[in-house]
Amino acid sequence: MTSAPVETAPPDVEEAEALGDPELEESVGTDKPWLVIVWNDPVNLMSYVVLVLQQLFGYSREKATRLMLQVHHDGKAVVSDGNREKAEADVARLHARGLWATMEHPS
Amino acid sequence: MERFERLGDGRIRVTLHEAELELLRSIPSELRVLYDDEGADPVRGRLFPRAYLDPTAEDAEREWRELVHPELVRERLAALEVLTDSLARASGAKRDTVTADLDADDTAAWLGVLNDARLALGTRLDVTEATEYDDLDPDDPATPGLAAYAWLTYLQGELIETVMLDLPDEGAAD
Repeated sequence: MTSAPVETAPPDVEEAEALGDPELEESVGTDKPWLVIVWNDPVNLMSYVVLVLQQLFGYSREKATRLMLQVHHDGKAVVSDGNREKAEADVARLHARGLWATMEHPS
Repeated sequence: MERFERLGDGRIRVTLHEAELELLRSIPSELRVLYDDEGADPVRGRLFPRAYLDPTAEDAEREWRELVHPELVRERLAALEVLTDSLARASGAKRDTVTADLDADDTAAWLGVLNDARLALGTRLDVTEATEYDDLDPDDPATPGLAAYAWLTYLQGELIETVMLDLPDEGAAD
């Protein structure tokens, strides 16, 4: 994705119920954002992960390094969060750079 | 030999031996096959992974993929063109080596193509964090691939280090 993700105002609970979308209802009801997770893999260089996190999210070297080390040691790290649209856009941008990322919604 | 030299105006000069140039030149055609192929190659699975962790979110996964996959492929194909063009510009002042000057777009393309080449080769060779690249057995059929993988890793690592020298430590969005 080349365009910046657009932040839309989250629908309220009544709207979500009216739309009949259980996933939407759940995410609005709990008011928790979607989490974007980067997973460890044996190919990507640690320096590359730091570079990508800095370039994509504007993180400091320190924060990007801390997240990379979390990926390296824990197997994964949450690198960003937001509404579903933003999370989908972030996952796409990470995939474009060859990182293995997924998104999930905490229940 | 300094592999990557910053020219001071944002451009980077790369120096390559002829054999290295040939190896890099061979990458685009290999990757193009992977980008275009619709099969269930495990390498393709790594280049174009799932977005939704939840295996029951198939509708969301399909919608997301329909939306983003064509663009992800388009961007990657474009990077192959940029790499190929930059290699075509490579010229030699010294015997056996050539240099090419890379601007910011070239550098971004190089990083992406090198990473994809390593992902493809690494997945195919099933490399792990414990894989060794020294003292490769010349009779092992995996050796040429491992040697290429090791060299691409070194090259990408050097380019990343060079790029990071001009990347600020402070963040805009911590």
